Amino acid sequence: MSAHASDRGGLALWVTGVGLVTPLGTGVSATWERLVAGDRAIRPIQRFPVTGQRSMVAGEVDGVEVPGPGWSRTSCMAAAAAAEAIQAARLDVRGRRVGLVIGSTTGGMLETEQRLARLHAEPCCHEVPADMLSHPLTSTADRLAERLGPFVRTRTLSSACASGANAMVVAASWLLAGEVDAVVAGGADGLCRLTLTGFNALGALDPEACRPFDRRRRGTSLGEGAGFMVLERAGAARVRGAKPIAELAGWATGAEAHHITNPAPDGVLVASLLVRALARAGLTPEGVDYVNAHGTGTPVNDAAEATALARGLGAEIARIPVSSSKAQLGHSLGAAGAVEAVITALVIQRGTLVPTSPLDEPDPALTLQHVPNEGWRVPEVRAALSCSFGFGGMDTVLAFRTPDERERPSDAPLRSAVITGVAVAGSCGLVSGVACATLPDLRPAPAAFDPDPHLDAARARRLDRSARLGVVVAMRALGDAGGKDPASGVVLGSAFGNVDASAAFMHRVFEKGPRAASPAEFPNLVPSSPVGHASIYLGLHGPAIATADLALSGESAMAQAFELVSCGEAPCVVAGAVEPSSGIVERVLGALFASSPAQAARGLVDVAAAVVIEDAVQAERCQRKVLARITQVLEWRQDAAGAVARLRAPPPGPREVVLGRGSAGADALLEKTEWRACPRVSCAAAMGESDALGSVAVAVAAARIAAGLAAGVLIVGFDDPRGYFIVLSAA
Amino acid sequence: MDDGPLRTELKRLIVAELNLKGREPESIGDDAALFGADGLGLDSLDALQLAMVVEEKLGVRIPEGDEARSIFRNVRTLADHVARVRSG
Repeated sequence: MSAHASDRGGLALWVTGVGLVTPLGTGVSATWERLVAGDRAIRPIQRFPVTGQRSMVAGEVDGVEVPGPGWSRTSCMAAAAAAEAIQAARLDVRGRRVGLVIGSTTGGMLETEQRLARLHAEPCCHEVPADMLSHPLTSTADRLAERLGPFVRTRTLSSACASGANAMVVAASWLLAGEVDAVVAGGADGLCRLTLTGFNALGALDPEACRPFDRRRRGTSLGEGAGFMVLERAGAARVRGAKPIAELAGWATGAEAHHITNPAPDGVLVASLLVRALARAGLTPEGVDYVNAHGTGTPVNDAAEATALARGLGAEIARIPVSSSKAQLGHSLGAAGAVEAVITALVIQRGTLVPTSPLDEPDPALTLQHVPNEGWRVPEVRAALSCSFGFGGMDTVLAFRTPDERERPSDAPLRSAVITGVAVAGSCGLVSGVACATLPDLRPAPAAFDPDPHLDAARARRLDRSARLGVVVAMRALGDAGGKDPASGVVLGSAFGNVDASAAFMHRVFEKGPRAASPAEFPNLVPSSPVGHASIYLGLHGPAIATADLALSGESAMAQAFELVSCGEAPCVVAGAVEPSSGIVERVLGALFASSPAQAARGLVDVAAAVVIEDAVQAERCQRKVLARITQVLEWRQDAAGAVARLRAPPPGPREVVLGRGSAGADALLEKTEWRACPRVSCAAAMGESDALGSVAVAVAAARIAAGLAAGVLIVGFDDPRGYFIVLSAA
Repeated sequence: MDDGPLRTELKRLIVAELNLKGREPESIGDDAALFGADGLGLDSLDALQLAMVVEEKLGVRIPEGDEARSIFRNVRTLADHVARVRSG
């Protein structure tokens, strides 16, 4: 970790640049002026046919030109907003260690949903389907890296409609850990048939433009867009002469563990997040001058949110103005949390509150101080909050403040993280604890693993195969750890999410029309759905995040969970990866995204693994048996040599290298390190090739240390040129 | 007209489409509450799914709002609605 002894302001995190692409306009000033004026962008949808849809209106972004294969509208909007933020911050990406974090839920769905529907009918392609290159969530980060990079590390995450807000939480943790000098963080989502049809099936959309907080509100309206911020440590920003727009002072993210689509009406979790975000920011409700609400306009969201705000902010809620930007922009899902974070930061900088527009008949049951129809200037906005809530009860609160010169420590106390439980499911059956040590030697079982006997049928009835696999390994890993802490988080990686189910859903919609869309199935198509189901089934209220990084999705989940624990966002995170067998991945996407012919091979088998990553102090307090200590997690995008140079020497005693997926280049990579001659352990032979293998490798490595087979293990995930090193040592 | 076969068909649909594993369709009483903890324990998401399935499989559309609430009270009220629309 780098020391910044000369940093005045130390750990304060500044927003030094922002960018927006919204249905009100491309660029911050275009959007801002129309927002303050109360303009509304919800209109009849022009992007695609909407015959038979209950609601046919949305906020659409005009003027997006998709340059070619690999690009989606989502990526184009993200690139424009990120470029604006970088330019506004006058950030030289090449001259500094800059990270990229993107929250999204749709990726290139609009561009690929017709192809997906055809693939459902016939899951093979005679020629390489270049139009699928823009499909994965990670394609947005890849396009941004090509156009705006290089970035030293990137993260693609999904927490349903809190995705964009959670991008800011991840950015903050990277900055506090000293891993990067600046982070370009944001969210992006393009409107598509899948989300329009799904939200219509749920009856969640108002047939007219949405009316948050109005007593006649009947649902939300969808939107699209992108919002990005450049975040950096105040001291470093000041040294390079950057000016702050606002300070990201506090944040908190957690899960309601209540229902896959409905918010908890009591608002207890959201209230606790408000309290935590304010505490982190050094604030009390008396210091808050504005709240940008999630404010979707569904009857249940707005009621639950008003209850939560009253619970979390107490009597001050009678004073603090609250507004929702969704009436003007629509709900841009994975982008919304980032777009609204940018708006909230601008409210502080400009001392102008943005309205809820229209708001003609405020619901008397919601006791909120509204900003109806038009923005207004105020003498000062000292601090402001932005709330984002998603399917599965994934909620995030961000707190922004006017930048000041308060004293802060120059380095965050990072927590030491240990692994206290592991479980793997797949062709090996279900294996947990120290027994995972010999998993690489196991012969594949003749029958596919069936998660159902391990689940309560009634409580698991809404879980699809991914969620069932994820819940079973998470539950078993927590059992191995000796019980669960309800404050634990859940992180699961997946390269392509539930692509087969999305293909089936769209095939049905194209064949039979929007009314045939299954409301119960739609929530399972959201990339973070297995995470939401796991937090609900297991009653876990900590951070809930899905990650994606193609072949290294298992490793990305491990890195994400490690960061959450080491930065104190959660005392414990159960983290892993789930890849159910998929015809479309096996025959199309796998080949399309393979970095080598060997990478294209994969078994048609389910693979799931989970490990419990816990704060070492808490693990000791709870008298957990510690399987292994996590001593280093490194990630790189291009600079493998740099990562190798930073790789710590192995601890004394026997050591091994455990290989996840895509380990072809591992030997060359380790040639000049002390890990060179260590025995190699491969997980692919026993488990089949899968993008979840990185999580299997960590589970196996921890078990081998616990079994006394090694004192130190290096897990290598390499998908040239990207990679991860994870080093474990004996406790 | 005898709604017995229709009620049996609806119970089968409820169990299959809402994935009520381990539940025998015959065990659902004609007058047992479908929603809420003291009944079958279904919720608003189940109601939406059931409305979609009834429309697709039986060709009968369930109206939205308060009217749906009284139709979805139990299997008998749902069968009555389907029969009424079909004979209408």
